Amino acid sequence: MTRDDSEQRRNIRRTALIMAGIAVAFYVGFILLGVLRS
Amino acid sequence: MSTAVADAHEAHDDHHGPEKGIKRWLFTTNHKDIGTMYLIFSLIMFFVGGAMALVIRSELMQPGLQFVHPEFFNQMTTMHALIMVFGAVMPAFVGLANWMIPMMIGAPDMALPRMNNWSFWILPVAFGLLGSTLFFDGGAPASGWTMYPPLVLQTGDAFPFLIFSIHLMGLSSIMGAINIIVTILNMRAPDMWLLKMPMFVWTWLITAYLLIAVMPVFAGAVTMLLTDQFFGTSFFLAAGGGDPVMFQHIFWFFGHPEVYIMILPAFGVVSEIIPTFSRKPLFGHDSMVYAASCIAFLSFIVWAHHMFTVGMPLSGQLFFMFATMLIAVPTGVKVFNWVATMWKGAMTFETPMLFSLGFVFLFTIGGFSGLMLAIAPADIQYHDSYFVVAHFHYVLVPGSIFSLMAAAYYWLPKWTGYMYNEKAGKLHFWMSTIFVNLTFFPMHFLGLAGMPRRIPDYSTQFADFNWMASVGAIGFGLSQLIFVYVLLTAKKGEKATDRVWEAPKGLEWTVPSPAPYHTFDTPPVKRVHEEAFE
Repeated sequence: MTRDDSEQRRNIRRTALIMAGIAVAFYVGFILLGVLRS
Repeated sequence: MSTAVADAHEAHDDHHGPEKGIKRWLFTTNHKDIGTMYLIFSLIMFFVGGAMALVIRSELMQPGLQFVHPEFFNQMTTMHALIMVFGAVMPAFVGLANWMIPMMIGAPDMALPRMNNWSFWILPVAFGLLGSTLFFDGGAPASGWTMYPPLVLQTGDAFPFLIFSIHLMGLSSIMGAINIIVTILNMRAPDMWLLKMPMFVWTWLITAYLLIAVMPVFAGAVTMLLTDQFFGTSFFLAAGGGDPVMFQHIFWFFGHPEVYIMILPAFGVVSEIIPTFSRKPLFGHDSMVYAASCIAFLSFIVWAHHMFTVGMPLSGQLFFMFATMLIAVPTGVKVFNWVATMWKGAMTFETPMLFSLGFVFLFTIGGFSGLMLAIAPADIQYHDSYFVVAHFHYVLVPGSIFSLMAAAYYWLPKWTGYMYNEKAGKLHFWMSTIFVNLTFFPMHFLGLAGMPRRIPDYSTQFADFNWMASVGAIGFGLSQLIFVYVLLTAKKGEKATDRVWEAPKGLEWTVPSPAPYHTFDTPPVKRVHEEAFE
């Protein structure tokens, strides 16, 4: 594996984790919104 | 053989083809295989959802109860919507994204190929669960796709199946969206700057962001429904201190961007096709990108226009009314740019172009009736009437579905390596166009005359327009069999060239037809494919 390849893999993993984090935050956040309002 | 592929072969001699038999499809991580599975799945769902639409239209062909029990009618309206939205339109665009995005940006595959396989295979499970409820004693969900509480909580045994299947559909969409974003941001060919990307890639990037933002919100809403039903919470139950209107707010915070999830990739498709058959570059590429981004942003701040009748402060009504009207501006930019692209172009009218032109004309009608619905005082009259049904079907059928057809005809020769039957394609277009208008245009009049939606019976004054709509729906359904014929005979035409059309632009046209199983193992370089990068 070249240096470029490993850097690309790292970038891919980082972008995927950020996106998954946003999705989880929205899911939990809106349920929390419901909890706070009820 | 194109240079890109030749380069790739020189770089890797260890190429392998697909596995044989069922294992190829079960375990594949190849973006083209997964794209094909998405497209076939969505076509099957299109016909299943279409059959349900025909049950609805047969029942409504005449006043009085004709064929089905009213409860089953409600199940059909609910299932038709869920299947068409989550089973047909969305997976079809994901299929196109899988097939085309890696080839358009010069990537060898999607960034996360195993997750790609999962994203697809979750879908049949989700729709298996949802479809199985049709055989339950209490029947399938019947509360409408909006699933408003407290009505939806009366669903019966189908309820947990509905919720679980929606979670799975959401998971599939989110995984697909993550994959698309990661691929576009990290795997573009070295010289493909963001603003050089084709419009289809751009619109999908924006759509994927929308998906990540709103699908979890929908999942959260249905999770709360689930706990209200089975775990004693009262998020949406007024009796326990909850607020049923809050569900509507959360649902439409997802539901309105969802509309753009189904239409933005359609804008991308049309923005690819019109320049090809006008033999001109797309007018205002960058302004198209900004317009799509603007539409996506605005889609988050207009949700309550679906709820003008729940009672909200005047300031709220005014905000959501004007914010909604504002969407007409970037949408107008797009329509203007498509027309400007065609202006003085050397246009020809092959099937993909016909469907794209049909899209521009008919989607604009849907957009216009949307503007009418945005006017809060008028909407209070139109609300829950057939005018709304006419509006969103104009957006989704000659909008999303026509663009999907255009895309299928446009890229089919690249997928199969053969030209499809052009005569049958044109017949498909004209029959679809005539019947889609016959189906949905009279619904405007029905709505304005006061016919409510989601009812199996109606006053005799609505009989004539309903009869027209039903004849149109049957005709539209039969017209789609021509498309099946085109697909079944797709490999019987003459061999397609690599470029397929006279003036297409983009990296996907630099690879052979049919596209090899592996493409761009070595990234394409600008100096070889100068034109594709412009």
